[in-house]
Amino acid sequence: MDKKSMSPMNRKALKETLLFTLPAVVMVLIAIYIPFVMSGYYSLTEWNGISRNPVFIGLNNFKTIFSSGSPEFVNALVFTFKYSALFIVFSNVLALALAVALTKEFKLANFLRGMFFLPYIMSMTIVGFIWKFIFTQGFEKLYELTGWGIWNLSWLGDGGLAFWSLVIVGTWQSLGFYIVLYIAGLQAIPKEVMEAASIDGATGSQRFFRVTLPLLGPSITTCMFMSLTNSLKVFDIILALTKGGPGGATYSATLDIYREAFQNNNYGLGSAKAIVFFVIVLVLTQVVLKIFESREVQQ
Amino acid sequence: MKKLLCLLLAVATVLAMSVLPAMAEGAEINMFISSPEYADAVNELIAAYKEVAPDVTINYETTQNDYPTLLKTRINAGMTPDIFSTTSGKEIADYAEYSYNFAGSPAAEAMDPAVSAMMVYGDGEIHGFALKGNYFGMLYNKAIFEEVGIEFPRTLDAFEAACEKLSEAGYQPVTTGFAEWWVFKHVMQHFLDAASDDPAALVAAFQKGEAHFKDYPVLYDNFFRFIDLCVKYGDNKPLETDLAGEDAAFGAGKAAMMTGQGAWVEADVLAIDDALQIGFAGYPVTDDPAKSQIIGGSDQALRINKDSANLDAVMDFVNWWYTSDYGKAWFCDVAGVIPPITDAKVADMQIIQQGSELSATDGAAALSICYSSDSFNQAMGEAIQAYIGGTIDKDACCAQIEAKWVELDGAAQ
Repeated sequence: MDKKSMSPMNRKALKETLLFTLPAVVMVLIAIYIPFVMSGYYSLTEWNGISRNPVFIGLNNFKTIFSSGSPEFVNALVFTFKYSALFIVFSNVLALALAVALTKEFKLANFLRGMFFLPYIMSMTIVGFIWKFIFTQGFEKLYELTGWGIWNLSWLGDGGLAFWSLVIVGTWQSLGFYIVLYIAGLQAIPKEVMEAASIDGATGSQRFFRVTLPLLGPSITTCMFMSLTNSLKVFDIILALTKGGPGGATYSATLDIYREAFQNNNYGLGSAKAIVFFVIVLVLTQVVLKIFESREVQQ
Repeated sequence: MKKLLCLLLAVATVLAMSVLPAMAEGAEINMFISSPEYADAVNELIAAYKEVAPDVTINYETTQNDYPTLLKTRINAGMTPDIFSTTSGKEIADYAEYSYNFAGSPAAEAMDPAVSAMMVYGDGEIHGFALKGNYFGMLYNKAIFEEVGIEFPRTLDAFEAACEKLSEAGYQPVTTGFAEWWVFKHVMQHFLDAASDDPAALVAAFQKGEAHFKDYPVLYDNFFRFIDLCVKYGDNKPLETDLAGEDAAFGAGKAAMMTGQGAWVEADVLAIDDALQIGFAGYPVTDDPAKSQIIGGSDQALRINKDSANLDAVMDFVNWWYTSDYGKAWFCDVAGVIPPITDAKVADMQIIQQGSELSATDGAAALSICYSSDSFNQAMGEAIQAYIGGTIDKDACCAQIEAKWVELDGAAQ
């Protein structure tokens, strides 16, 4: 736009836009982009995170990752993908079902919406500690009371079961968030379309699968995208519940990066893993986003 | 708009000015250390020093959660604290370029040799001091052992027999805390000490990839036999029982023995039952009772920033802490810890009393956890957890530990 042709009003609006976004831009720069560029540099160095002088070693860290040197990272990636797949399915299916139920008019609907949303506003660390208590002491007491074998399983002490515990707690915690998104989507569906479908003789399930679900496209895309990124980034709940144990069975990619950088004192290698993981997440999310967007129907 | 902006800027400037600390007249010492359990005691120490040196201000900060990460952040931000903590032993070298060598100072002279041995860097340089000494060993419930009519087992065969008897008497023989990775390093060091007369050299050989578990029956056979017995006679869900679970089982008199711990749990188990009679002894590691020894020393080091702006003031404080009458009494009377100095009285606590007697009569073994880094110790803990969980067998577990020793603590580090 030519400056001279800009009216004083427009110029003022532009100035204000710049002024109001500036603090946010500065914060995001400091907290995200600058560290990102710095870890890009550190990924090319051998550095323990302590000494004054990182040693530049070119692409050697990446070679270490892609050669056999890092089975832990591969295991962590597999774990993360498994977790993400289950998390996405459970949280979306359950959230959609509950959202449909909660948009029906009944007495406790609002109260229940609040109840389901409550875990989401709790800190993940607190949620982790609460569930740790439930899995250990709580289940022990339940076993004493009922004698059912399911309570006597070592939910956090067995690698396979610990994985399921994490999926269950992770889904439980964030369910409320997706329910809210789906409720918003459901309420945006025009009543006339539903009425027309009823008049045309569509049954309840036909109305849901042929009308509601296609019209929920944008909500589904958003929820899929959010649940995908959130589950790939899973970190705090594992730290609070299992710390990657037992026997290293529940390391996610992010936790493995943290371990490499801060516990094993391989800051350079950890940064390189973070970059690799960043590329994987970037590609995955873009592909998923494209697929779901192309399937949306226009209202 | 412009006026508003000017006003905002003015307000921001005033705020910034008022937040900036007023420049103190005397020296300021920034102390950022772990061990928050001694926060009250350290605050008392600082208050007492304020009377000795009124113009020195000590800014004390502590955190348990993630201390090493926070420390690294500060060091890299150019805000190295004047006094900071690391583990002793191997980490002394990692942080050596930041820490001050105070060998020959009154504080270094006053330090217990068992403690200062873990603070040495290079050729006799002393790069750390300790807030406390420590004792590592097995805890047992004296009342239960008396009731069942057995002595504390000092050999592995006796340990198995004792577990059997205790189990028959209706007690859980042992509680293990195997959910915590660091429990394993505390157990393993007793076996390392028994496996070689020079555990430091043995660990160094492992780190070079020259030593193997198979060549050391104390490690390959005895250690794993001990772990197996602990699992068999231990907690119902071993990999789910953490320190709190151990405290609960031992404190409530349910479990007769407690592994992987030491002097630091006494207050916690006494909080559950203050009449508990705690016995303290070395681990049964071989068939030779003499090898069953406790371990003493300090696994934590306090370091002095060698580029501190107030190095003299910091050294004055540390020397006062280790040599003044108040400082010497502080360890026992205020903090209730094992004094890391030679010239001090021993606190009136069961484990500390027995530990000090045992190290006088039977001697104490080396604190060999400190020959390895905690990165390795954590990896070792995870490998043994995987063995207990049944995902890998004994040979795979040994191979994994050997590989981690080379990878994490080998020449590359």
